[in-house]
Amino acid sequence: MANLKLALKLLWRDWRAGELSLLLASLVIAVGTVTTITLFIDRLQQALVTESSSFIAADRVISAARPVPDEWLARATELQLEQAAHLSFLSMVFAEERAQFASVKAVSSKYPLRGKLIVSDTPFVGGSVIKHGPPPGEVWLESRLMPSLDLAVGDQLDVGSASFIVSRVLIKEPDRGGGFNNLGPRVMMNLQDVPLTRVVQPGSRLTYRYLFAGDQNNLQEFEAWLSPRLGQDYRQYGVKQGIQGIGKTLERAERFLLLGGLLGVILAGVAIALSAQRFSIRHFDHVAIMKSLGATSAKIDFLYLIVFVVIGIVATLIGCGVGWVSQLGVVKLLAPFIPVALPDPGLRPFLVGAITGFVCLLAFALPPILKLRAISPIRVLRRDLGNQKMQDAVTWIFGICGSWLLMWWYSQDLKLTMLIFSGGVLAVLLLGGVAWFLLRTGRVLGMQAGSVWRLALAGMQRRGQENTLQILVFGLAIMLLLILVLVRTALIDEWKAQIPDKAPNHFVINIAPEEVAPINAMLSGYQLRSQPLYPMISGKIVEVNGKSSRELDEMREAELGEQHGPRAASTRNLTWMQSLPEDNRIVAGQWWADDYQGEALVSIERDLALANSFNVGDELKFAIRDSELNARIASIRSVKWDNMKPNFYIIFSPGALDDFPSTYITSFFLEKDQKLFLNKLLREYPTITVLEVDVIIEQIQTIINQVTLAVELVLALIIVSGGLVLLASIQASMDERFHQHAILRTLGASRKLVMGSLLVEFSVLGFFAGILATLGAEVTVYGLVTEIFELEYTIHPWLWLLGPLIGTLMIGILGTLATRRVVQIPPMTILRELA
Amino acid sequence: MDSADTAKLKKRKINAAIYFMNMHAVETMVKAEDLGKTVETSAGQLTILKGINLEIKKSESVAIVGESGSGKSTLLGLLAGLDTPSRGVIFLDGNEITALDEEERARVRGESVGFVFQSFQLLASLTAVENVMLPAELKGETGAGKQAHALLKRVGLENRAHHYPRQLSGGEQQRVAIARAFASSARILFADEPTGNLDTKTGGVIIELLFELNKEFGTTLVLVTHDTNLATRCDRAIHIDSGMLIAAENTDSGYSAPAVEGN
Repeated sequence: MANLKLALKLLWRDWRAGELSLLLASLVIAVGTVTTITLFIDRLQQALVTESSSFIAADRVISAARPVPDEWLARATELQLEQAAHLSFLSMVFAEERAQFASVKAVSSKYPLRGKLIVSDTPFVGGSVIKHGPPPGEVWLESRLMPSLDLAVGDQLDVGSASFIVSRVLIKEPDRGGGFNNLGPRVMMNLQDVPLTRVVQPGSRLTYRYLFAGDQNNLQEFEAWLSPRLGQDYRQYGVKQGIQGIGKTLERAERFLLLGGLLGVILAGVAIALSAQRFSIRHFDHVAIMKSLGATSAKIDFLYLIVFVVIGIVATLIGCGVGWVSQLGVVKLLAPFIPVALPDPGLRPFLVGAITGFVCLLAFALPPILKLRAISPIRVLRRDLGNQKMQDAVTWIFGICGSWLLMWWYSQDLKLTMLIFSGGVLAVLLLGGVAWFLLRTGRVLGMQAGSVWRLALAGMQRRGQENTLQILVFGLAIMLLLILVLVRTALIDEWKAQIPDKAPNHFVINIAPEEVAPINAMLSGYQLRSQPLYPMISGKIVEVNGKSSRELDEMREAELGEQHGPRAASTRNLTWMQSLPEDNRIVAGQWWADDYQGEALVSIERDLALANSFNVGDELKFAIRDSELNARIASIRSVKWDNMKPNFYIIFSPGALDDFPSTYITSFFLEKDQKLFLNKLLREYPTITVLEVDVIIEQIQTIINQVTLAVELVLALIIVSGGLVLLASIQASMDERFHQHAILRTLGASRKLVMGSLLVEFSVLGFFAGILATLGAEVTVYGLVTEIFELEYTIHPWLWLLGPLIGTLMIGILGTLATRRVVQIPPMTILRELA
Repeated sequence: MDSADTAKLKKRKINAAIYFMNMHAVETMVKAEDLGKTVETSAGQLTILKGINLEIKKSESVAIVGESGSGKSTLLGLLAGLDTPSRGVIFLDGNEITALDEEERARVRGESVGFVFQSFQLLASLTAVENVMLPAELKGETGAGKQAHALLKRVGLENRAHHYPRQLSGGEQQRVAIARAFASSARILFADEPTGNLDTKTGGVIIELLFELNKEFGTTLVLVTHDTNLATRCDRAIHIDSGMLIAAENTDSGYSAPAVEGN
């Protein structure tokens, strides 16, 4: 008890004298950064998921061609999940004098569970949010149906054998999607009215969708219960699998935010280690004096452990508070840019912050503090004696294990942890040696230079070991920042490339061969940027090298269960092409020559080939309409499925499909105000079908913009904490630099010489750190980009200039500014402070 | 208690018995036998002290005199239990400190020893009075503040009790250090060049104070100095050169100590 009192007393006295402020500050920064990032990510992620859920109008969906067993819905009710359903089918709809092929969607009264329906009284104009779909007896029509059927709100529309009142114009529905069942303009009606229409007959092509929303845990339980029951006829999906193009974006964004948080933790750990080291060194004398006054090593341990625990608690509390406030600030700052209301954060971020604080303290601050027990009291007589050689191995092992555990615990992702970790360790090992070498050569070169250089480089050489360490720390901090910048750039480029401006947002299918030329002419007449017209015909693979494809599918299913890629025997859209589509890449075999006219060849998409072990040279037999066609696999190619262009699993060589009647597909970009063009097109060519993907593209772009913003923000936060690490590192070496330069000042060194030597010293350190950082960043980013983010890696030549430049400028300026005090105050004061 | 501890205790009892048998009319405070200290350096083994035998009586004041680098500070460190010798035995206030581990030596230092250093060795983050309170606080004694204020008054610094070391002059800092040395109710005081960092006048004042308090508290004083004037203020001076005692002499202060052999 007396010891505890004494410990607290010493703690208070240390605090009062400013000895603890740096350690406390780095801990607060560590906890604060992690809490801020975690809080922000937590809230943003929740918001993004909620926002994205609107894409499927639910959290989970079961999709099938027939109703699901009642038992399933009962199970969902048991788990307190909200439920809704809708049924989609194609049907002719009739106004007084006109008829149109429409995509009808009959929705239950609770639809939608997520996202918003927007309706209006006039076509193509504004609109307001409405909670649920049309009541029985009413239908809502998509804008372009109104002019094409010559209808106004209040008129009557017939669907099958039932009549409905057109009560509103449907401007937007959350889960519009782009599937082939959604072709054509939308008519939305109530699910209860479907029997009245008598449209649904045995053999009708129907899509049932059952929507579920609710608590994450319950959803997961439902999913686990459901998956063994789904079989072949039912498909279950969530947000990530639900929308083409968004799942990967969200996943990558989450990974990036996680990576950001991780790097934040490491940077904070380094800052703590540095300030704890400084705290420990500054307490060598204190411990020696206390020991000479009779304090035992056990007592020293106790006293400093109390200091340690109290600092930990105080820093965690302040850090969590700082995290909360700064996260509030960030959210407030961003409110105009984030169109989603962020949900309240949970307790988890605070817990993460607190645990991070204590693990950092344990891994990075404990070893230097435990060294204090070994300080010999003889130090009071002879300072050089009793200066216990730091047990460096222990410090490193603690730090390395600590960061590994923290990273793993934080990311729950072994691969990501191992990648960053091995990148870091490799950098430390390899670059430590290089730093040492560079310092040595630096001195030899510097010897011939002017006195500022000589002074600076001699100083660096003298403290070779410390400077190697410092270059490593600087290098590590810059490296982590570069990694984040590079990954961010790769991600954002990828996202931007995914849906370029003016990407095609309308597809036209079912174009008859004789319509190709006139439609082409019409499109160019309206100056619409259109894609080439591709022929399209449906067919399927029936044999692979003489074996039945259906049997192959069954065998594979028996082997792998539900987890398999595209099936061999499914009906697919086939096409032929002369040249390889722009976004496709050949991964095996060769694309045919431009003038190829021989036997039928096919090019197979990579996933389809991989899943079914197709190889170049394999013989495939296709069933197209009522006849068969043999073709040899000439190449395997990768396809960018999320580029919103017509993409094909199977492409034939020119001439191969000439005997089969095919229709054509094209896509083009249409501005919002040109929408009425579709009516003209449809009126002139009534047999074609137009697929509108403009709404979904817009939705995808919104999400990508939000995610990009989040990524930029996390980057900014990490850059701030990286800067703080650099400052802490400079601070840690401050005492010795101060001492040395104060002595130089007393010996009459000019301000110019001292500042010049400091500038040179820090700039050289920064330059070397920049080189090392660039090297480490390139290697780690290569691993991250290819393994974690699944993007293509390109080397960054500009980085090799920028990295060292950033290092030189940042460290040079920060370092000189931080030590500038040495020429501003009388040397006597400094020497006295450091005595 | 295991057998190792029992054996240790037995050995200590025997040594204590020898120590008491060695006592003459006057109690022995410090005794060193065949003391040697060698250290490993990059240039090989370096002998700092060799074959030192000495004895210091209770209440005696002894100066250890020698050139820079002669090994006098090392000797002081060994006698005070701050460091361990390479060979030989040391008794300090009835304890064979060469048989103790660092924990036990710390306890002996806390109970019996006070220090005054050339570089003052005050804790920079503590005020003058807190520095003086520290020894008592480390022992867990109550009333440390009251005693500390009294001592500061005794050394003439009652008005500067709440100043930090960096706000005090060298002489004032050394006075705080002296107050701290006596605050531990030490029976023996080790002083390492106490005036080494001070000007002659201030040094003189400090020495006066040190000897006055020494007399008042009846403390044994061991003082390392290269200042022969200061050495003559002590009862006796031990000369050390290249790690060996070269002579022991009685100073003119009147007390006659038994001759100490040097070799």
